[in-house]
Amino acid sequence: MARLSPLEASERRLGYLMLAPAVILLLVTALYPIAALIRESFSHNVLTEPWMAKPWVGLDNFAKAMGDPRFWEASANTLLYVIVTVPGAVAMGLGLALLANQPFRIKWPVRLGLLLPWALPLVFAGLIFRWFFEFQQGLVNNALLFVGLSPVNWLTRETPAFIAICIAIIWKTSSFAALVLLAGLQTIPKSLYEAAEVDGASKWRQFLEITLPMLMPAIFVALIFRTITAIQTFDIPKAMTDGGPGKSNETLAMYIHSTTIDALDFGYGSTLAVLMFVLSAVLTSFYLRHTRRDPSGGRH
Amino acid sequence: MTAYANQEKADQRPFSPKEETMITRKHLLAGFTATILLGVSSAAMAQTTLRIFTGGQQRPDVMRKIADEYERRTPGIKVEVEVGGATSEQQQQYLNTVMASKDSALDVVLIDVIRPAQYAATGWAETLDSYLGAERDAVMARYLPAYREANIVGGKVIALPYFADAQFLYYRKDLLEKHGLQPPKTWDELKAGAEKVMKAEGNPNLSGFQTAGAPIEGTVCTYLVPMWGAGGGLTDAQGKLALGAEAAKRPFQLWADLRAANVTPSNLAEIPTDRIRQNFQAGNLIFGMTWGYVWNRAQGDPDSLVKDKVGVVPLPGFSANAAATCIGGWQVMVSAFSKNKAEAYKFVRYLSSPEVAKAQAIAASHLPVFAEVYTDPDVLKANPWFKDALPVVQTARSRPVTPAYPRVSEVIRTNMNAFLAGSKTADAALADMNRDLSPIFR
Amino acid sequence: MATGAFPSPRKMTLIAGAIVAINGFFPAVWILFTSLKTESELMRLPITIWPHAPTLANYSRVFTDQPIFTFMWNSVVVATLSTLLCVTVSALAAYALVRLRLPKPNLILSALLAVAMFPLISLMVPLFTVMRDLNLLNTWWALVFPYAVLSMPVCTLVLMSFFQDIPRDLENAAMIDGCTRTGALWHVVLPLTAPGVFTAGILAFVNAWDEFLLALTLSPRVLSRTLPVGITLYQGEFSFPWPIISAALIVAIVPICIIIAVFQERVVGGLTSGGMKG
Repeated sequence: MARLSPLEASERRLGYLMLAPAVILLLVTALYPIAALIRESFSHNVLTEPWMAKPWVGLDNFAKAMGDPRFWEASANTLLYVIVTVPGAVAMGLGLALLANQPFRIKWPVRLGLLLPWALPLVFAGLIFRWFFEFQQGLVNNALLFVGLSPVNWLTRETPAFIAICIAIIWKTSSFAALVLLAGLQTIPKSLYEAAEVDGASKWRQFLEITLPMLMPAIFVALIFRTITAIQTFDIPKAMTDGGPGKSNETLAMYIHSTTIDALDFGYGSTLAVLMFVLSAVLTSFYLRHTRRDPSGGRH
Repeated sequence: MTAYANQEKADQRPFSPKEETMITRKHLLAGFTATILLGVSSAAMAQTTLRIFTGGQQRPDVMRKIADEYERRTPGIKVEVEVGGATSEQQQQYLNTVMASKDSALDVVLIDVIRPAQYAATGWAETLDSYLGAERDAVMARYLPAYREANIVGGKVIALPYFADAQFLYYRKDLLEKHGLQPPKTWDELKAGAEKVMKAEGNPNLSGFQTAGAPIEGTVCTYLVPMWGAGGGLTDAQGKLALGAEAAKRPFQLWADLRAANVTPSNLAEIPTDRIRQNFQAGNLIFGMTWGYVWNRAQGDPDSLVKDKVGVVPLPGFSANAAATCIGGWQVMVSAFSKNKAEAYKFVRYLSSPEVAKAQAIAASHLPVFAEVYTDPDVLKANPWFKDALPVVQTARSRPVTPAYPRVSEVIRTNMNAFLAGSKTADAALADMNRDLSPIFR
Repeated sequence: MATGAFPSPRKMTLIAGAIVAINGFFPAVWILFTSLKTESELMRLPITIWPHAPTLANYSRVFTDQPIFTFMWNSVVVATLSTLLCVTVSALAAYALVRLRLPKPNLILSALLAVAMFPLISLMVPLFTVMRDLNLLNTWWALVFPYAVLSMPVCTLVLMSFFQDIPRDLENAAMIDGCTRTGALWHVVLPLTAPGVFTAGILAFVNAWDEFLLALTLSPRVLSRTLPVGITLYQGEFSFPWPIISAALIVAIVPICIIIAVFQERVVGGLTSGGMKG
């Protein structure tokens, strides 16, 4: 590493100072719970077996997970949700953000339309969509009947239930992506488009050569966070079918919930949580490596 | 910080077993200091404060009135009612966290009838045998048998019953009378009656029969009730899984049969408990298998379309007089981490007394846990249907009593749900139930 | 203001706005209609869209059955405090990570992101113990701190992407003009990143406004409840009274709408109009 100049050294000091509040807040609030979680993941701790007294069991819980078909099914389902809803939400969010970035005279109704899906508490969003997809009273089937199609048993068949859940998740989370992307769009200097206009570039070329590259940092933010939250998909499938029919649509987070809250197996539940963390870390490190290669820093 | 009451700060010290013997004085001292510091009125000083946790749906308003009466009778005791989430699941989520961290803030806790075994195994409940002393058997003998059994786990009294509940068959009195039918005593009668009424009425939205089919707790009973009715049990006398028997297949056959006859709707697998009531109240349902709360809603809701058209009878069986039903209801338990166990126990005894059962029956239509309260004239005046409810509750059975009940429930309800949804055959669902339940009942 | 990729005629603009608004508003409109119906109308087949006999009875139940204004006040205070805390802390960290030559910024960022990767449900018991030992249960702070931490990773990342977009030259120019580094941050950088700060603030605010699990566990007393937990109190062990819950949801959404409307037009509009002409 190159030696630091006095200016750089003072910058670094200021940097540490500015980072300090974040670090303190994390230490106070999150460090102990996360450390406790990791310790638990190496212990046998089933609360209904207090006589076992939380022995340290090394990697036993992890070995158990590797041989647990329900873990693999839940992980596969979770990945499926990630594969469908992350690109889905970011693409839809991009569309919404582009639409919302038009020069409206009054901005708040559009901004509100962008934000509302996200402002609806998650639990209730799931319940509302369950209702939309209900067989008899649901809007969707009534609309199908109205146009002369036959109704679908959305929530009691495996694939239709998966589709319905994905629609709900994409609707709900595209709002978050759109907010992040809209903010990104607003920082693209207008002058770039004016120059392109002078050069006679088509709108499509402007989108490809100005909007998309300039929006990359925002798209990465949206992708990273959508991925992290998609891995934790819980409330919407829980409210809509509780992983049903049967357990065919159960996610990893739902399995963790059922293990810790219902079965009171805190040890194994924590192990599953750590494995979920590993999955998240692997996927996001992939993005982070990309952002590093992305020349955003040297662009200006 | 206007909205935040801070008096409880004094109670939030981590639990330490060594302090137990000295608890009253230390606690009072701590309370005293806190009182001075926080400026709470001096009258609170000499008192023991008991905090009871109840669910949002178990009528906290009625609990408050009962607690007021108790405070009046027992000088020196103050009762705070803490209201938790509305559903059994939300309450469990909160209670698990509080109990797992051995928090002493709660003294008395209201728990669902399916939970005593879990509270016994975790050691979160103070066992009441030593407090009951010589009276124990006499006290327990007064309760309805199913409640006595549900609250004694491994020979120890874990909690005392607060109020009862059970599944009943609700039916449309007007429709049955119109078509010359008696309330059904068997599933065959129910099927024939429903088919006859549906055909005669010609209303495409009228459903014959509904029970819970969504993957929720109530769906466990959708399996257990017909299995019990066929003379089966989840376990044999030795506590081993007994799902190989013929009776274990009967629920699948019954629900497949009713579905084939179009008596149950094709979306039964998405129907949760309350949707049955809503469909019934909207006049879209002839027969419904559901809990005690429906009576008051169907009769009392201003927008109910079936007021005075509601009948309640015991659930049908495969033959007449062989009915079975699931019990529900709520129990009061002394927290093992309470610092006022003796006082908490006395309060629990009061809450689980015939007097309070009567008060609850009148004020909240809660089904009593004592047989004699059902025939009390004041209670019958408020709830005429209670006289029909008693035989149901007397023969009601309790869901399996095991600390692993949540897992048992999950296995049964998801397989039942998958079967009703058509994504698993009866054989596959039964095989999966056997596979997943056998490690629990060894 | 920038106009985006497709500056279009007035009509196209209106259509674009309509699409966004309809997509966002339809469930809200649906629950608004539901909140004006009786339960038996809701169960009627075929279903009705427009309420046949609109009633305000559900709204009166919302205000009389539970202290919903207390829930709302708690939500407003908790969400506001945690947003202020979170945006301040995140902005400082983001700026440090982007500009101030910290060693291994990606590692620091990863550590920050890692916090968001654990399921909250698994952290509940230790978090409860921490808050109890700090004597914070049932106070606003029991929620303010965790909410700030929950939103910190996303806010930091959003703000970083904005700081990256600001030309270093602008800051350098300001510093040459006699501003200190912090002065440059305050007078030059912050106005330029207003859309980012606004977005981060909205993200943090809504995250806090919607959170359920922590609020259920760390603020269990009725009078310290926040709105999402408070709304579930209208629900029963078995019953889910959609008309009343819908009315309560409408009541819960209104403050968010007001906040967005006011902030969007006054604050952000004002800040950005002078800023990013490019």
